[in-house]
Amino acid sequence: MAYKHIIATFKDETVLLKALTRLQENKVNLVDIYGPFANHDILKKFTRESRLPYMAVLYGLISMVSIFALMYYTSVIDYPISYGGKPIFSFPPMVVIMFLVTILGTTILSVLTFHGRAFLFPGKPTKIIDPSVTDDTFYLVVDQNYNPDEIKVWLEESGADEIMEKELNT
Amino acid sequence: METTFTYKKNINLLFAVLILIGIAALIAGFMSDTQRTWNNILLNNYYFITISIGALLFYSLQYITNSGWSALIQRIPMALGAFLPLGALLMLLMYFGLPQVYEWAQPGITETDKLIAHKEPFLNVPFFMIRLVIYFVLFLSVAWVLRKYAKLEDQSANLNYHNKSRYYAQVFIFIAAIFFSFASKDWIMTIDSHWYSTLFGFRNMVLSMYYGSAAIILLLLFLRSQGYFEKVNEAHFHDLARYLFRFSIVFGYLWFMQFLITWYANIPELTVYYYPRFIGDWQPMFYAELFINFAIPFVVMMSDDLGKKPKVLLGISVLLMLGLWISIFVQIMPGAYGPMKFGFIEIGIWLGYAGLFLGVTFMALAKSQLVPTNHPYLEESIHHHL
Repeated sequence: MAYKHIIATFKDETVLLKALTRLQENKVNLVDIYGPFANHDILKKFTRESRLPYMAVLYGLISMVSIFALMYYTSVIDYPISYGGKPIFSFPPMVVIMFLVTILGTTILSVLTFHGRAFLFPGKPTKIIDPSVTDDTFYLVVDQNYNPDEIKVWLEESGADEIMEKELNT
Repeated sequence: METTFTYKKNINLLFAVLILIGIAALIAGFMSDTQRTWNNILLNNYYFITISIGALLFYSLQYITNSGWSALIQRIPMALGAFLPLGALLMLLMYFGLPQVYEWAQPGITETDKLIAHKEPFLNVPFFMIRLVIYFVLFLSVAWVLRKYAKLEDQSANLNYHNKSRYYAQVFIFIAAIFFSFASKDWIMTIDSHWYSTLFGFRNMVLSMYYGSAAIILLLLFLRSQGYFEKVNEAHFHDLARYLFRFSIVFGYLWFMQFLITWYANIPELTVYYYPRFIGDWQPMFYAELFINFAIPFVVMMSDDLGKKPKVLLGISVLLMLGLWISIFVQIMPGAYGPMKFGFIEIGIWLGYAGLFLGVTFMALAKSQLVPTNHPYLEESIHHHL
């Protein structure tokens, strides 16, 4: 049997914000919010800790160290040639390449990580909660807690346009 | 909301003590080592003029970008710019010490040094002083106009003054960008009169805003600790932290740009600048400059959350005040003086100048309103959040 969530729709993000505050005060388990545009107040209130920045730092370090290792191997160990009387191992010209490859590696690996984690790939069929989410409606998805009736009352009092109970297919 | 700044009289006493230490250091310096003292006077002139110009550039930038968030704190950079007239006077006094600092100003050098003889039409004492006066006339006149419109705006709510301020902010950025670059070349780069870098003036002009922002943060934090600016919130600090982060990258970029080209070309005319700094006594200072001005702010400010903490900003800003000193120290001293010497003369003269600078700044803060009550973006700034 499919699991059903409580879904409330809002036309106005300020009303949604009010409902969000109300539910959070009562420690209701929220699932997700879908909306046509980003809102910083909602993001601030309902946010999930993302681990992507830490991965980005890690990727940056990996890229930097590996490109340094490659350059060190090629120019010092494998094929040492003296250019213009400079020492075989000279750090300054490596800095630029290290800088650029760090950016490149971080970007590409972060994009791949993000898409892998979010199960996004080219050609994936789009699943949205409702076509109107791309138009003018916010959807607040709430878990069926022990007190679904109470949650519905809270949502209605805060001014939700529509409250329904259906399974989530996104 | 407190809109005027009143300060206790004993703070003036502190500044007086600092200035007395400075005078004592000056006397001690002139008794023992005249050349070193003159170099330190130039160093500190340039140090505090950099902060003033940088703060005014920050002020102007807020106008031409139509920034709303900064309206609340706009009087702080304005007050930091109040040192400029005094800086002009102190810079004019350099006339008496020119031969002690600049190789090209020594009498008779043109007969023995062919390169300086070639540069003599530009690098001579009268023309140097004329240029110095022109720079300051331009800086001071536009700064005065900006200050005038800020004061007029406080007296009557009229959008006209805001528009005028915005117009003259453009003029100030134009003038400071061109003439502070030239001034940096004139005052600092010509110390190593055989060497030149086309990047030098641009670098020092752009980075003046780095240290200007740090000074604004320090003054803002001080005023907050005294109970003013209680409306300044996390988002304002975050925006100021972004200035530091951005300019730390600019510092690293420009520093490395100048260094790499010299290193790669390996032409004796250019390496003459880096040789004494890269090797020998100056090496610790040389690396300290890069480390304090680039590495530490870059790594610390990379974290979004750390930039919102006033204590972290305080630490970084204090570090940057030291970083600016080291930066100018490394730019001036090896060419003008030679051996690395650090002692009471350096610390004392800096303290004296700091007392003077803070005294002038506090006087300017107390003279006009602390919060621009008629600024059209004030409400937006108070409710700044992200």
